[in-house]
Amino acid sequence: MVMFDVPPVLLIAFPLFFAFLAPLIYYLSKKSIKFYTLGVLILNAILSYFLFFRVMDEGVVYEQLSGFYPPVGILLAVGYLGSILAMLINTLATINYVSFFDEKSHSLRFSMLYMLVTASSTGIVVTGDLFNMFVFFEITAVGSYGLLASKGTKRSYEGAIKYIVLGSIGSSFILLGIATIYGYLKTLNFYDIAARISTMPIEAKLMAFTFLVIGIGVEAEIFPLNGWVPDAYQGASSRVASFMVLGPSKAGIYAIARLIFTLIPFSDGYELALILGALTLLIGELAALNQKDVKRMLAYSSIGQMGLILIALSLHSQIALIAAVFLIVNHALAKSLLFLGSRNYASGILKNPVIGASIFIGALSIIGMPPFPGFWGKWYLIVDMAHNGLWFMISVILFAAIVEAVYYARFLFRGTGNEKVTLLPGEKIAIISLAVLLVIIALFPFLLYNPASNAATSFLGGGP
Amino acid sequence: MTYELLVPIFIVSTALISIGLYGVMSKKNILKIILSLDLMDTGVNILIVAMGYLPGGTAPIENGNYKVYVDPVPQALVLTAIVIGVSVTALALAIAINYYRKTGTIELEKEGVMKW
Repeated sequence: MVMFDVPPVLLIAFPLFFAFLAPLIYYLSKKSIKFYTLGVLILNAILSYFLFFRVMDEGVVYEQLSGFYPPVGILLAVGYLGSILAMLINTLATINYVSFFDEKSHSLRFSMLYMLVTASSTGIVVTGDLFNMFVFFEITAVGSYGLLASKGTKRSYEGAIKYIVLGSIGSSFILLGIATIYGYLKTLNFYDIAARISTMPIEAKLMAFTFLVIGIGVEAEIFPLNGWVPDAYQGASSRVASFMVLGPSKAGIYAIARLIFTLIPFSDGYELALILGALTLLIGELAALNQKDVKRMLAYSSIGQMGLILIALSLHSQIALIAAVFLIVNHALAKSLLFLGSRNYASGILKNPVIGASIFIGALSIIGMPPFPGFWGKWYLIVDMAHNGLWFMISVILFAAIVEAVYYARFLFRGTGNEKVTLLPGEKIAIISLAVLLVIIALFPFLLYNPASNAATSFLGGGP
Repeated sequence: MTYELLVPIFIVSTALISIGLYGVMSKKNILKIILSLDLMDTGVNILIVAMGYLPGGTAPIENGNYKVYVDPVPQALVLTAIVIGVSVTALALAIAINYYRKTGTIELEKEGVMKW
């Protein structure tokens, strides 16, 4: 394949640069701003493919910024999982942006925030520096606050305020964790921290670990810290909720993976992650069962899925990590599809066969029905648990799957949403493209399996 | 090292963070919540600056008069964190104003932000 060596920094720099150039474009021509934004997102998606193939070829790609050698300067380190997620986030952000295309009042601010959040979510998955990760977290969070409030209703402001409060507490805790680590080790570079973390006293290590889990957990929707999720997703427009699911939350779960595998690995950390994951899964799924509002139901279901991903990460074995990658990809694709479709899914497949079938595929994949990626994720996870004799956890996961099947069946057969609302053509295109991607992964799971297997090996070896 | 000197600073910053957390969890008034968040931020920033402190140290600019330099990295971190904190506060206030325009009140509903 013809390719050029994409420096990872371009993936962050391009959309940042073009986002701040957007006011000029808007000044010149108000109509062209959406084509401009779409062009930038497509460009970034193409760059992320090149980066993905480069990583598959060469292994981990490093890039030092600003001329200082690590551990002093900022280092970008793109591993297998990072490149998969960069590709996922940028592709899906592009597809999702198409759903905004028919909006009459296409505002400048919205496009800028969209590009900023895409850039910084990508930044989280390619960085190799703790403080740099914090800054990208903050850009993601600030952009998301704006996007969530952009609908302009009482509920959307309420959701945004909740997210701001929890997000700010989270960022204070990330800073505390960084301060603890820096106070002992005088470094912020991931590799340097990982190499010398064992010299820290155990209390300090635990403190740093707890602070960072609390801080990142807000973004990654982990149990005690995800109080903002239902309100924010319910208040926001369905397309913004879809974007939040595919971008920032995936970056958050990557940061958690980075934390428990490479930054501060110790066995109690894995157990803590397992317990938190199980709690997140059960509480999310059971809360989803009671919801009347479909977006709120999807938000709780999203929490449950994040718990499942966290369980898969906490098992720290090859197969469980492959399961985690499948679950992450499945959740990003299927849940953003369902959020997009949640505005009007009136009465099943017959009314609108193509959209109905697409939404059906999405729901099947989330529940974990055979050919779809959600099934492969849960299957590998259960195989690994059976291997380790974790029968209780298997029963928890199967119980959660049954609960999931119940409320998704209710969603599919009773229909939801407002019948008078019709989906815009852009939304239809986005829904169908996401369903096609799900089917492609269902038909050719090895397309995902091979990179996922590489990612698992790299993570277990302490790499990014 | 100089950790004994830092004990008062630890106490102050822990107190600020605790007051901030308490305020966020107990208040329903959005402005009070935003102020509490600011207190938390300040507490954390004080802690980070203290990490790089050395008695008698000065800014790391070489001019021959000083031998002891404080660690510049925490100061750079705090500068970034302050900027981020200011922008988040501004955004929160803007959203609070919009919330007030929509609802006519500055109080969140009865459970506050911690409703799950």
